[in-house]
Amino acid sequence: MTMNNGLTRRQFVQAAGAAASLSIVPRNVLGGEGIAPPSETLGAALIGCGGRSGGTYNDMITRLRAVGIEVKLLARCDVKFADRADNKETYTDYRRVLERRDVDFVAIATHPGWHALISIAAMEAGKDVMCEKPMTRFIAEGRAVVEAEKRYNRVFQLCTFGRFGASRDPGRRQIHKMMASGLLKKCPVVHIKKGGLKVREWSGRVVYQPAKAPPSLDWDMYCGPAPLRPYQPHRVGGTHRGYWDYEGGGLADMGQHHFDPVQWTYAKDHTSPVEIEAYAPPAHPEACGMWGWVELKYEDGCTFVFESAEWGEPYERAKPRELSINDLDEQARRQLAEMPDPDPLLEFGEAVKQRKKSGGHAEAAHRSSTLLHLANIAIRMGRKIRYDPVKEEIVGDEEANRLVRQPMRAPWRV
Amino acid sequence: MATVDEVKGLVAQMPDPDQRGMYCENIDKAKIDAAIEALRRGGPEHWRALADLIVPPGEGDDVKARYALHALAVAVCKPEGRESRRAFGETLAALLGADRPKAVKTYLCQQLQTAGGAEALAALAELLTDAELCEPAAMAMTAIGKSAGPLFLAAWPKAGGACRLTILQNLAVLVVAEAKPIMLAALADADREIRLAAGYGLMKLADAEAVEPLLKSAETEGWERIQATKHCLILAEKLAAAGNKPPARRIYEHLKATRTDPKDAYIRQAAEAGLAAL
Repeated sequence: MTMNNGLTRRQFVQAAGAAASLSIVPRNVLGGEGIAPPSETLGAALIGCGGRSGGTYNDMITRLRAVGIEVKLLARCDVKFADRADNKETYTDYRRVLERRDVDFVAIATHPGWHALISIAAMEAGKDVMCEKPMTRFIAEGRAVVEAEKRYNRVFQLCTFGRFGASRDPGRRQIHKMMASGLLKKCPVVHIKKGGLKVREWSGRVVYQPAKAPPSLDWDMYCGPAPLRPYQPHRVGGTHRGYWDYEGGGLADMGQHHFDPVQWTYAKDHTSPVEIEAYAPPAHPEACGMWGWVELKYEDGCTFVFESAEWGEPYERAKPRELSINDLDEQARRQLAEMPDPDPLLEFGEAVKQRKKSGGHAEAAHRSSTLLHLANIAIRMGRKIRYDPVKEEIVGDEEANRLVRQPMRAPWRV
Repeated sequence: MATVDEVKGLVAQMPDPDQRGMYCENIDKAKIDAAIEALRRGGPEHWRALADLIVPPGEGDDVKARYALHALAVAVCKPEGRESRRAFGETLAALLGADRPKAVKTYLCQQLQTAGGAEALAALAELLTDAELCEPAAMAMTAIGKSAGPLFLAAWPKAGGACRLTILQNLAVLVVAEAKPIMLAALADADREIRLAAGYGLMKLADAEAVEPLLKSAETEGWERIQATKHCLILAEKLAAAGNKPPARRIYEHLKATRTDPKDAYIRQAAEAGLAAL
C-alpha cells in the first residue's frame, strides 16, 4: 500500500520504528536547565505527513543521531487524519501536539502555508524545529520565525542542506570570505539559475469544479491562515505548490534549494535585494503560472536571476559572471589572506547539542525565502519594485506591500 | 449593450486554459496587456460590466473574466495606470452593496484587497457582520491599512458568531488603541480563541495596564498557556523598548518565579535574558 506521501506503509513504519529505538543517550547531552534523568528517550513529532514527510523526519533524526541523540516518534499530525485521529499518537491539530511536554523536536512537512506558524508555535512551546522548505508563505512570516528563534533560544533548521556542502567547498569558501571581508566594494556577480524550476509542472488550475472534501480531510484546517476556498482535489497533495494560498509555484519550491547555498556563498544571509524586476504575463489571482525571468539586484550590485526557460524570451540583460580571487587587487588579496576563514556551519544535531544557531538558521532561511517572495511579488505585481532590506518593506508601493505582510484568516496570526 | 459587448470582446482576448485547466500554453503577454489596458481606459462602466461576468464557482465559465478583473486590479496600481485606482476601488465597493451572490462578493473583496483604498472601506465594513463575508471583507480592510480601525471598532457591538473573532483579531493586527477596553473584557470570554485574540491585541498595544491581566491569563494550561506566555514576553519586550522598565521587569520576574517546571526552563531563561537586558 502506498501512503499519500509516496512512501509505502512499510517504509514509513521503518522510518518511524527506527526513530523509536530505545535511547542510551542521557537527556543532559543537551545541557542547560530542564535536564531529565539519564536514559530518558527524547520525544519527536512529525507535523504534516504527506509528500516529503518521511524524508524530513529522517533528515532530522539522522542529524540528531550523528551527535548521539536518539529520539522516539511520539506523535504524527496531519489534517488528512480527520477520520482516525486519537489525540494520543495521531492528530489533526498541531496545537494538541505542541501541548505535549514530552515532545522535544518537531519536524514540519505540511504545505508551506503552515510552515511559519507551526515553526513559531513549536518554538513557543520549547521545541527545536526542522522545517521543510520553502520556509514561509510571505516575507513578514519569516521575520516572526527569526524573532521566535531568538526569544526562546530554540534551534531552527530549514530542511535544505546545499549550504552545508557549499560551506565545505574550498572555492565557495573563498568567495564567501571575499564577499564577507568588505574588500570588494562593487560586486560584479551575475548568478543565473536557468531552468529546473518546474514552472509548468507546479502551476495551479484556473478551471475547476468545487467538490466535497473527503471525510478524512479537515479542509478548514488545511486552508489555515489562507482564504477558505471551495475544496478542489488539485489544491491538496504535491499539487498544492501551484497555488499562492499555500506556496508559490516551482519558483518558491525549487528556488530555495538553489539559492540558499548561493546566498551563503555570496555572504548575503543578513540582507536582501533592493531592486527586483520580472518579465512575465499578468499573474492569476489564485493559480501560479508562467513567467520568463526575474532579476534581483543587491545594493552592492550582486545580481541573482531566476530564468524559467519555460516561457517567453530568454534573459539577455547580462551574461553569467561569478567571482574569482582576481577580482581583488594584490593588496586586498594580502589582506584577505590575513583574515580568518569562515566558521563551519553547524548541522542541526550539533546546534541542538551546543544550543547554538544551526547553519540553516532562521535569519538565513528567512533571507533566502525573501528572494523567492520578492521574485513572486514582482511577477504578481507586474512592475519593478524596490525593497528596503532593513525595514523589510517595498519602497513606495503600498499595494505591493500587501503581499509582504498578508492578512491571515482568524484565529491564525503572526 | 455596446459596452457589454466590448467588454466581452476584451475578455475573450484572455488566454484559453490548456488541457490541464491551467494557464501554461499560448500565453501572449502583449495581447493580454493590450486588452487589460483597454478595459482600464473603459472606466467604471466597463468595470461594472466585467464584474457582472463573474459567477459563483461551479455555476458557469467565468475563468477569463476572473483573470481579467484581477489583472485590471493590478494594472490600476501600476504607475502608468494609477489614475484609475480610486475610481476602480469605488466601483467595486459599490457593487458589494448590490444583490449579488456571496461567492461573487467574496471575489470582489479579494480584488479590493489587491487594489482598494480608503474609498472602499465603508462598503467592506458593511459585510463584517455577515458570517460568510466577514473574513474576506476583513482581509481587504486590513490590507488597506490603519484607516480601517474605526470601522472594525464600530462593527464589534453588532457582530456575533465567528465574526466576533475576525473583528477582534483585526483590531489587534491594526493596533487600534481604542479597542483596549474590548480586549480587556474579552480576556474573560468563554471562547478560547476570543481570549487569545484579546491577549494578542493587548500585547500589540504595549500598554502597561495590560500587564496584570495578561499575567493572569497565562496561569492556565496547554495551548492557551503557551500563547498567553508569549503575549506576556512580547509585551515585556515592547515595554522595555519604550523605556517603561518597571512593568517589563514585573513580567519577567513573574515568569522567572512561576515557570519552575524543568520543561519550562526555556521560558525562565527568556525571562532572565529580558531582565539582564533591562
